[in-house]
Amino acid sequence: MTDVPAGVDRSTLARPDPSALARPDTAGLADVLERVLDKGIVIAGDIRVNLLDIELLTIKIRLLVASVDKAREMGIDWWEHDPELSSRHGELERENQELRSRIEALEGARPERPS
Amino acid sequence: MSAEATYLYAVIRPLPSGALDDLTGISGGRVRTLEREGLGCVVSTVSLDEFGEQELAANLNELTWLERVAREHDAVVRAAAQLTTTAPLRMATVCHDDAAALAKLDELGSRATAVLDRLDGRIEWGVKVYATTRPAQVPVAAGTTSGADYLRRRKQESVERQAADAAAGEQADAVYTALAGDSVAGRRHHVQDRQLTGVDEPMLLNAAFLVEHANAQRFANAIDELAERYPAIRLERTGPWPPYSFASLDPS
Repeated sequence: MTDVPAGVDRSTLARPDPSALARPDTAGLADVLERVLDKGIVIAGDIRVNLLDIELLTIKIRLLVASVDKAREMGIDWWEHDPELSSRHGELERENQELRSRIEALEGARPERPS
Repeated sequence: MSAEATYLYAVIRPLPSGALDDLTGISGGRVRTLEREGLGCVVSTVSLDEFGEQELAANLNELTWLERVAREHDAVVRAAAQLTTTAPLRMATVCHDDAAALAKLDELGSRATAVLDRLDGRIEWGVKVYATTRPAQVPVAAGTTSGADYLRRRKQESVERQAADAAAGEQADAVYTALAGDSVAGRRHHVQDRQLTGVDEPMLLNAAFLVEHANAQRFANAIDELAERYPAIRLERTGPWPPYSFASLDPS
């Protein structure tokens, strides 16, 4: 834990410009998400990373976000631009499609319920 | 397993202890700084009920949660960036405890120092460019209703639209080139989808520029001047941001 020792004058801290960067709430959500989720230094936090290495983890997080229905509605589509992501996304889509056709086939094969 | 964990916001040049004490972090956690060998790290304590691997996966799918945490993350990064050189970490970097976070800091070592060296005294401006001019439909001349006329008119429209798109694209490229020349570095991000921007016109450029803090205002003015010079496009300036787009361990 860090505490301010008595007598430390905060005004002497290096301060590039107190007014700059001071409007956090006006930035658009898309711009904020783009930066905090898609930019910045990537290191593996050890809570999330039991099995996955960091690149996989990053992809996973991006896929998760990308799979949010609402995010999709908003057009968050990073995976489409990322070759690695888009192949994984493609796999999921294919798998999804396959499952759907199997369900349809099963439902089609089921005898009509007597009326 | 402990029910709490250490959330990492950014790597920084060390601050005097307590410099960020007034700051509230994600979900109300008190912001602290850790320090090791000339490198600092901005952290706060979070609950594993929220940031455990499973819980995080679920929470990331809640846009309300995602927005709140993204903005809280951003607010802490901004506050740190006002006091010292700050290299943001990707959102949701979580370690078991402070000791584990410090071990990560050790691991980063000189690579993080190199990033901070690159970011010293610099901020980021965002510039988005949209197309504005879509050629109006060619009016139908009175009495011309034949199929051939119709096709000719459609062809003409398509040619004009393509020319306008090409011109707008070239102007967007010119904007990027001009601003990249005026800045320390430039990055082109993927253009955002129309649904995301809420703007009818397509986005042609989504760029970020690393600028000396001393030149921040001049650079902003340069953006505004370019906006006047190119009528076929609309420029939107965002920022100044902490240098998110330039905090990468491998410079490219």
